[in-house]
Amino acid sequence: MSRKPIHRLPAWALRTNGAVVLLFLYAPIILLVIFSFSASRIPGQWGGFTAEWYATLFDDSRLQRTIAVSVRVALVSTLLATVLGTMSALALERFKFRGRRVFDALLYLPIIIPDVTMAVMMLMFFSQSFSLLESLFGIGLSKGFATIVVSHVAFNIAFVSVVVRARIAGMDATLEQAASDLYASRWQAFRFVTLPLIAPGVLGGALLAVTLSLDDVVVTQFVAGPGSTTLPVYVFSLIRKGVTPTINAVSVIMLVASLILVAGSVGLQRANASRGRQQLRTSGGNS
Amino acid sequence: MSAAVSLRGISKLFDDVTAVDNVDLDIADGEFFALLGPSGCGKTTTLRMIAGLELPSAGSLQIFGEEVGSLPPNKRPVNTVFQNYALFPHMSVADNVAFGLRMRKVPKSEISTRVQEAISLVRMSGMEGRRPNQLSGGQQQRVALARALVNRPKVLLLDEPLAALDLKLRQEMQFELKQLQREVGITFVFVTHDQEEALALSDRIGVMNDGRLLQVGTPEEMYDAPVDRFVADFIGRSNFLKGTLESPDVVCLTNGQRINVPAVDAVTVGDEVQVSLRPERVMICDVDTAPDGVARLSGIVDSETFLGNSVVYRVTLDWMTIEVETDHRPDLERHHSGDRVDLWWRDDAVAVVKP
Repeated sequence: MSRKPIHRLPAWALRTNGAVVLLFLYAPIILLVIFSFSASRIPGQWGGFTAEWYATLFDDSRLQRTIAVSVRVALVSTLLATVLGTMSALALERFKFRGRRVFDALLYLPIIIPDVTMAVMMLMFFSQSFSLLESLFGIGLSKGFATIVVSHVAFNIAFVSVVVRARIAGMDATLEQAASDLYASRWQAFRFVTLPLIAPGVLGGALLAVTLSLDDVVVTQFVAGPGSTTLPVYVFSLIRKGVTPTINAVSVIMLVASLILVAGSVGLQRANASRGRQQLRTSGGNS
Repeated sequence: MSAAVSLRGISKLFDDVTAVDNVDLDIADGEFFALLGPSGCGKTTTLRMIAGLELPSAGSLQIFGEEVGSLPPNKRPVNTVFQNYALFPHMSVADNVAFGLRMRKVPKSEISTRVQEAISLVRMSGMEGRRPNQLSGGQQQRVALARALVNRPKVLLLDEPLAALDLKLRQEMQFELKQLQREVGITFVFVTHDQEEALALSDRIGVMNDGRLLQVGTPEEMYDAPVDRFVADFIGRSNFLKGTLESPDVVCLTNGQRINVPAVDAVTVGDEVQVSLRPERVMICDVDTAPDGVARLSGIVDSETFLGNSVVYRVTLDWMTIEVETDHRPDLERHHSGDRVDLWWRDDAVAVVKP
């Protein structure tokens, strides 16, 4: 039975509200796209149409290097974080072990603590461990690609694990028992039963990790070394030098890239949707 | 011949709670065996230990003479039909059935013939391509059976396999299950809380309560000669007359009356016992019309309940109330509330049980 609203807003009020929200959300994006084609050197001023900023962008080898670094960091850190995050999600949902509750609580820390704290922590960790390695084994290490990847993995594990856990929690554990009853080893049960059923969650976690990694400025800035600047860090440094319309163009490209990612994930979810619904119904019902 | 499944001193503790307490049990090859008990009695845990899904805390567990107590489920020659069937939702019926054979690396050509055989055995031919969610409960049940039987297990374990079905379908599947077991000749071990199901299906029944296995026997033995009050109460209905065992075949009831009982050896003479008296085995008649040489009690009819094919009387004695069930037939006299009546029974109609 639906409840009858006591105070009913007039339709025009609701429509206005909707319009304002949409304007608030999308106007900056539209402005950004428009001004990325402005010929004026001052970023907020319209000076006629030009694609010049995109052209300079494609000539800018430094910018291209940073894009390459960003993509590599995102791919490697996402791969590692997805594997580790899925493993920890399985451990927390399927096994009982000593320190499980502590591990559970600690796993969420990277989601809660501020980026800056995380960044300082990682920086401290690297400088301490590098000097320790130096003094013990004489191995000289410096910050760079690897430290960025490790830091991104550190915060992405938490996000992947949260997403995957939600999926595992909705999955019937007797399915794994049935697999082992039907002669599957632990690995085979995971490979042929668990993984196909939690795949949408794992994929969702991975996409989240890619986005967060491509997005991160604060942590990366602290742990990056010379020659390993990522795109967002580079953009941020450009702003400090004064905003040029090139930034608008870069931002539009990043926007398009994320739109493609989102569209891809939505498409995948659609393809999985009918199957996912079936899975939830069979595992949820009948008991 | 060694038993199909043999449990010796099997116990299972979850933290500090004893779920299964020192169970000894032998299940014969080719037998349809039911583990019967209320929920939480440890019957499912016992089944899961045979399957390998739980490891026993103590005791020895053998399948056809081979110790399997510590083996993982995938190394045991048994298969399970789970209560909610646990069919793999992302696989077709055929892939579900083929799963066990694929895991054991059976050659492809053999897999397809055996899968076809198993699917036609459970009368699901033509449904190979369906997903589990496109099947009804009864069909899912059949696929779960085929998925287990296709592996030709030495023992098939069934965890409340009919509990999720509605009444009519359940009765149909009971019949099918019994027929299937005769056809394949595999030992079935079957967990249920439904005493009628256990009586109808099994060759032998084991009744469990509070983690202990109280009695094992054929359905008739369990009904006619329960040794424990819980068993007598759980399988069918019964009146319990308190008394003391005076000699192996005489019980002195609390009202001082002595009655003859079938000889018992499970109880020591002098112990407190209860005499289980099934309502349909007590005869009711007018005062002083009971035949000679039978045990009798007199009382007053307190209430009568008409059930169609039978009438249930509650008869009050001065020391207890007894329930009597008689057929409803024109040639049998009806008694009414307030009537003085005599109750009588043959000596072999009762069973002495531990209180």
